[in-house]
Amino acid sequence: MRCSDCREALSSYLDDELMSPEAQEVREHLATCAECDRQHRVLADTSLLLREKLVRHQAPDVLKARIRSALAQPHAFDSPRASRPIPVGRPPWLLFAAAGLVIAIGSSALTFAAMRQGASSHAVAADVLASHIRSLMPDHLTDIVSTNQHNVKPWFNGRIGLSPPVPNLDSAGFVLVGGRLDYIEGRSVAAVVYSRRQHVINVYAWPTTDHAMAATRATNERGYHLVQWRADGVEYWVVSDLNAGELDQFVREFIAASR
Amino acid sequence: MAQQDVDRFERIILPHLDDAYTLARYLLRDEHDAQDAVQDAVLRALRYFDSYRDGDARAWLLAIVRNCSLTWQRGHSSDRFTVPFSDEVAAAVVETRPTDASAIEASDRDAVNRAVAALPAEFREVIVLREVEELSYKEISDVVGVPIGTVMSRLARARKRLAVTLGLGAQEAS
Repeated sequence: MRCSDCREALSSYLDDELMSPEAQEVREHLATCAECDRQHRVLADTSLLLREKLVRHQAPDVLKARIRSALAQPHAFDSPRASRPIPVGRPPWLLFAAAGLVIAIGSSALTFAAMRQGASSHAVAADVLASHIRSLMPDHLTDIVSTNQHNVKPWFNGRIGLSPPVPNLDSAGFVLVGGRLDYIEGRSVAAVVYSRRQHVINVYAWPTTDHAMAATRATNERGYHLVQWRADGVEYWVVSDLNAGELDQFVREFIAASR
Repeated sequence: MAQQDVDRFERIILPHLDDAYTLARYLLRDEHDAQDAVQDAVLRALRYFDSYRDGDARAWLLAIVRNCSLTWQRGHSSDRFTVPFSDEVAAAVVETRPTDASAIEASDRDAVNRAVAALPAEFREVIVLREVEELSYKEISDVVGVPIGTVMSRLARARKRLAVTLGLGAQEAS
């Protein structure tokens, strides 16, 4: 075998993809040709380096939730338009990418909210927004991934002193992604995660002794919408970059389904 | 589509979601485009699921992901922000090596991933299908839609190029 033929075949030889007579010829040639043997080792090293160092990605929770949501809708596949994903608005995702920056901007924006709302509510809102943004970092969204409310709700039992409502809102187009524990103002709270399209909705819940306010109160800070209410001794905060109308619908559906 | 078909689809196809997303990430080099392309691919896969015959479901799904990624890229090429990245730049990255072991590890990983990201698409896809997805030449040939001989030569050229970029000394006299 000539060196030029050997070099051409080396990559396929490395993958064990040559027919046996040709593989045999390469093997014999490598035993007698130092330069071709060196080239063989270089290719083997290259392949090994690629296998070791190339990143294997994990499908993000939001993508899994979007797919589960689509699969859960019985007629989603029948029409040709169904396969067309809803175009993704760039700004929210750019905000995700620059989450650190957003925390800074969001905090200063919330200063204005404080003037309207009072200081303690402001501190909570800032914590909720910071927690929401933190949850959007890779692998921070959920401790338990499940679209099944009967898996998510009991998961909180024994972890915190509250089992939050985890309604199934599939029919309204809000997909359960999972749940996690989080910290707001120094206490452990339940965070239940839903999604619509690529937008993440975090629902925070913790026990409260203050029953003063039953109505929902909404604020809008730098593209994030926060909704707060209290019911049955539980304080709820919902935060998302979803538009105000859809988040309002979410809150209505959530409250109605939690009763 | 009957519920048992959807169940079967979920059982056979969804376990390969990470691999599908990985391929789309390498092809599109953007996480959000990759998510959209994979969602599109999975819904297409479901629609054409009755054309799937027993065989390697992963390679079947990856072929659809590749097609959807190319379609997605064509449809969005005008507003894409792409960073040109030459072999020379990649080589410069490799040459400035830190001394601390974990930093070397991180720097190697970075250099390898950047070198692959800088490859022309036809080389990048065969490298990823072989070295990451670990498909056979026959499967790569099916996914990319080219003869096995073309897979062989593309893979050989891509590896040679990466060996040079990564400073592994593949210079050839001929």
